[in-house]
Amino acid sequence: MSAGTGLLPDFPSSAWFDALVGDVDRRRKEYERLGFADCRFAVEVVDDRGTCRWFGLVLDGYDIISEGELDRLEPFAPDVVLSGPHAAWTEMVANIVRHGGADRAHTLNALSIAGFPLSARSPDPVGRDKFYRYAETLQTLFDSAGRAVPVAGGH
Amino acid sequence: MEDGGANLDERDAGRDRPLDLGWLRESRAEWGVKATPSRIGLTLKDIAVGSYGDIPDHPPRRTMAPRGSDIPDQVPDMGYTINDKAEVWSDNVMELYEEAVSRQWSATRDIPWGELAPLDPDLEHAMCQLATVLSEVEMVAADFPAKWLWRINHDFVEAKMFLCTQAMDEARHTEVFRKRALANGGGMGRATAIVEQFLKVILDAQSYDEGSALMHLLGEGLVLSLFRAGETIAPSEVEKRIFRLCMQDEARHVSYGTMHLRYRLQRDPSLAEDFHSYLDRGEELIGVLLSTPEVAEPATILAAGSLEAASELGSAATDVLRVQSIEEYLQRCDRAGLDRRGRIRLPDDMIAGTSAAPPPTPAVAADVVGART
Repeated sequence: MSAGTGLLPDFPSSAWFDALVGDVDRRRKEYERLGFADCRFAVEVVDDRGTCRWFGLVLDGYDIISEGELDRLEPFAPDVVLSGPHAAWTEMVANIVRHGGADRAHTLNALSIAGFPLSARSPDPVGRDKFYRYAETLQTLFDSAGRAVPVAGGH
Repeated sequence: MEDGGANLDERDAGRDRPLDLGWLRESRAEWGVKATPSRIGLTLKDIAVGSYGDIPDHPPRRTMAPRGSDIPDQVPDMGYTINDKAEVWSDNVMELYEEAVSRQWSATRDIPWGELAPLDPDLEHAMCQLATVLSEVEMVAADFPAKWLWRINHDFVEAKMFLCTQAMDEARHTEVFRKRALANGGGMGRATAIVEQFLKVILDAQSYDEGSALMHLLGEGLVLSLFRAGETIAPSEVEKRIFRLCMQDEARHVSYGTMHLRYRLQRDPSLAEDFHSYLDRGEELIGVLLSTPEVAEPATILAAGSLEAASELGSAATDVLRVQSIEEYLQRCDRAGLDRRGRIRLPDDMIAGTSAAPPPTPAVAADVVGART
């Protein structure tokens, strides 16, 4: 299923995350005002058969770097992994696209507070707490899927 | 000749000296040691170079003189009572200070107050009551560090600086919840004795250890969970933003508290029982506090979305939040080096469904098995 906007690549894909990160440079002042961050953040998308795909994001100062799709999670050494079924992720993305940003029920925090449909996990609660410490930065990043983000090199 | 503590003879002698900084030539300062800025600027970690990065476990003096400076013998004793690094330090305190400074926000500018619309009166009452409680509890997390700051040895200046940012954060939280209570016609709700009792235990703590465990780990940990939930129970975009921004700040404080306690216990494991005792008392109070109507009802009504739905759902409306918040608290205790599962003092109905819940008694277990077969 595609949760793309027509301008964004399909979710989940390295290109989708690359497009979001590309938007960070265009809106640098907004991100700088949110403050710097330091977190290795992994998105885990689980399909119906239980197969996982992982995508890595590195929040480094005022920069956000997309590490693309990861073959394995462990070498990326994430501080926190946000995991959930493919359907929950795509519903979130569709909601962001529809509203120009997540509504209250579809923020990263709202979707994970109960441990379902998304859940934030980390072997270290201090690592997991980084998900809370940088919530505004992460949500701003994902909400940028609701804006017309041109695909690098596209159209 | 002395005048107000100053040596006037020395002042007179100074008049005859050439202005060539000659007195600085014998300085033990590390001339040539140069800090290099990282990509985000010149951070505290960047300047922790050479001997300047050495933070003594037991500073030899109790003075405000900057660590690494030449300190004459005549400096007065400032009477600091916290002179062991482990009493206040955490391995992440420098990064947390930098992060706090970088991620400050304004309750006046950064909340979309203009978008606040009239709410159903029940929801407005609930929101205002919750804002009243939060406005009440948040300020203790400024009062507590402020009470202890002047007692902390200046060689631990990075920890002191972090606690200053916490005081600023909490002032802003008090401000933003007070503003929310007054911004939409609801006004202030009701304060409670049990909330005040818990705050008093923190404020009256006999040691920084005791107060920090009660506040950073227990109190702020649970408030952090409430802020997390706040985004989902927020009646509008205004509260959603308030809760999310407060959540970020609170998570920093909790992160300090967790890692500080870890640092403390790693260096003196014999203190574990003391910390257990502090948390025993704190949990007993928190158990009552979280059940009091002034705290429990507004959260339940907001979570359910209406008074009617809240009446139907009862505590089920906040069950998920309860389990998550207690589980996260227990995990932070684990990380710090304290296993609270065997002795948690929260009431049984509050820990039901968590990893601290007591195993079912044989009779109950038999009932469960019987019901399944």
